[in-house]
Amino acid sequence: MDFAASLKLIAPELLMSVSGLVLLLVSAWVGDKASRAISVAAAVVLGACFFLVAPAVCSGASGPDTLAFGGQFSADAFAGLAKLMIFAAGGAALVIAPAFFERFNAMRAEYPVLILFAVLGMSIMVSARDLITLYIGLELNSLAAYVLAAFLRTDDRSAEAGLKYFVLGALASGILLFGMSLTYGFTGTTSFEGIRVALNGEMAMGALFGLIFMLAGLAFKISAVPFHMWTPDVYEGAPTPVTAFFASAPKVAALALTMRVTLEAFGAQDDAWRQIVIFAAIASIVIGALGAIGQSNLKRLLAYSSINNVGFILIGLAAGTPAGASAMLVYLAIYVAMTVGGFVAVLMLKDENGNSVEAIADIAGLSRTRPALAFCLMLVMFSLAGIPPLFGFWGKFVVFQAAVNAGFVALAAIGIAASVIGAFYYIKVVKVMYFDEPADVVKGESDWAHWALLAISALAISPLGYLLTPWLGNLADKAAAVLFLGV
Amino acid sequence: MIGIEHYVVVSSILFVLGVLGIFLNRKNVIVILMAIELILLAVNINLVAFSAFLGDLTGQIFAMFVLTVAAGEAAIGLAILVIYFRGRGTIAVDDVNRMKG
Amino acid sequence: MIQVLAFYLFAALTIASATLVIMARNPVHSVLWLIVAFFNAAGLMVLVGAEFIAMLLVIVYVGAVAVLFLFVVMMLDIDFAELRAGFVKNFPLGMLIAVVLAAELVLGIGAYRAGSLELGTPDGSAAPLLGKSNIESIGALLYTKYLFLFESAGIILLVAMIGAIVLTHRERKGTRPQIISKQVRRRPEDATVNVKPEVGQGVQL
Repeated sequence: MDFAASLKLIAPELLMSVSGLVLLLVSAWVGDKASRAISVAAAVVLGACFFLVAPAVCSGASGPDTLAFGGQFSADAFAGLAKLMIFAAGGAALVIAPAFFERFNAMRAEYPVLILFAVLGMSIMVSARDLITLYIGLELNSLAAYVLAAFLRTDDRSAEAGLKYFVLGALASGILLFGMSLTYGFTGTTSFEGIRVALNGEMAMGALFGLIFMLAGLAFKISAVPFHMWTPDVYEGAPTPVTAFFASAPKVAALALTMRVTLEAFGAQDDAWRQIVIFAAIASIVIGALGAIGQSNLKRLLAYSSINNVGFILIGLAAGTPAGASAMLVYLAIYVAMTVGGFVAVLMLKDENGNSVEAIADIAGLSRTRPALAFCLMLVMFSLAGIPPLFGFWGKFVVFQAAVNAGFVALAAIGIAASVIGAFYYIKVVKVMYFDEPADVVKGESDWAHWALLAISALAISPLGYLLTPWLGNLADKAAAVLFLGV
Repeated sequence: MIGIEHYVVVSSILFVLGVLGIFLNRKNVIVILMAIELILLAVNINLVAFSAFLGDLTGQIFAMFVLTVAAGEAAIGLAILVIYFRGRGTIAVDDVNRMKG
Repeated sequence: MIQVLAFYLFAALTIASATLVIMARNPVHSVLWLIVAFFNAAGLMVLVGAEFIAMLLVIVYVGAVAVLFLFVVMMLDIDFAELRAGFVKNFPLGMLIAVVLAAELVLGIGAYRAGSLELGTPDGSAAPLLGKSNIESIGALLYTKYLFLFESAGIILLVAMIGAIVLTHRERKGTRPQIISKQVRRRPEDATVNVKPEVGQGVQL
């Protein structure tokens, strides 16, 4: 493939890097005064990238025409669909940030630039068809994320969240890398296609170790049990807009990457990774549900909910079929809408001095003081719990259906049982909001951008979301088919 | 010539030492950062040795990227450590129980 | 023979100094042991003919990363005795886990066997160039096949730079920074006066 065609395939990434550089110059020249304008510009760039990627997703692009730079990078429909979600989540993180940081006088022009580079990293991650591309994308995303977690540097909690995230993230990268080095040695190549060909038939013990180390590193990045310990602390300590970003975009990217590694590179050895994935799925569902009990902080509660949801998504991976992969993508899209809605609602809870309210006890009786906000939060909670009329139920339904069709009835049964237990806690939050005496803590006005975003995500997860299912299912099917071309 | 298995043993031991260092020095973030560098060194030895024995330069290119990223990672890690120290006056991570899991 | 001796020397020193990195009481010593470990690892790499990576390791790690570590250790006023607490308590369990993990790795990968390991077979697209040095072969690959990743790695370094500056840079009150435009605008006439003092009168300013 010639160079010009490769450049054309990476057009969204090129646009992001060039505009990131330009915006960085602007921020250095004009200073923090321009941070709102730079945020808007970065959001516009992400919007443009969204439209650059969309055609490949709609047409279900796959095959050699989508490979750039000798197969290191693939702009296929699978990567495209993941990118659409990442761009949307990244755009949300840009829109909600200024109102939050300005209260602490900490809005800085570098924030949108870092978000843009983090999104660029994720976009490279989901397009990776080579271990080196995978690593570069992952680290570009991670390095920006460590800084973003500690961005509110005068706040002790933020610095602490950054430190914890950094230490554990760097350790996970190290483990992942060690696995990649073993995989390289025992297969003789770093390209996913080459690994797949090399592993057809017998797998050397060294390559198996490589696979296990790689899965451990990836499990950290998607915060699946047993590598989930950092999630509640980091989600609580990081500034709320950054938490909303962490819980949505990097999750999509890391899960898409996990799908590529397992289904594409190690697709011929699915027996080797299936048990690990099943264990991680069940453990994440159970620990996510049990850990949520006894949490008094909304951000921590949402952190456990994200661990729980990752478990459900992994059920689709355990199925290992095109239907399972497609179900994962559908679930991810719904998950992004729920998470963004949840964290924006938390962001809008402020007391009269404009400080954030995060304790569950403080939102008692919210339905009487702020009915609209309470209603949206209720939608998010019910949807996260997977209660039927809401769209969150659909994600769980397609995943279970795929698992049952692939013959994993027991796995689906455990998942359904655990989701009933988990529902208890979300319902308790709704009960506190609707039936308890008003605590009268939440005051203050909310930014219109927050309202708009909350309204969009509430609309998406409401029963109206079911109107999207044929369209979403179709796109996800086409995207998932890309991963199974080599079979 | 020394066989590849010798190199793999050396890098495995280095990797384990890095993980052990993180486990043993849980309070001392600076030593934790150095232990992470040891893990990356183990990875680099592995990559370079495999590359040489396979007769394929990809591993050495990969090792160069690992080096690049490791340098950036060290810079960010130490920057976060500095702001943490400014706020707390200590770098002990076990003090980190303001957030209970 | 020399090669075998050199391998065992470098390998033993790498492992010994890595052990001392995590065991040393004083973090300054840890950094110094880290430097020793990197020098010896570079030696191991030279033995297999990867001299360019070996030199990079010395330049990047010893020249930049280790100095950065030393700088931070010395800049922050840290009570290191306090940080040692818990070390002794964790030691037996830690060692046990480490020995088990190391044994598993060595046995699992099969490196204990007498014969050589069965590695994969590369497709030959990244084979070293015949009759060219290691650095030439790497350059020929890096700027062609790996161009995209090379440029992306540049962005990673940029992000690291932005991040470090964003986090640690602060505007200090009460400092007297250099204002270059003011310096440039200043003309000799504003700054100097030409006077002709009379004898015995002194200077009037």
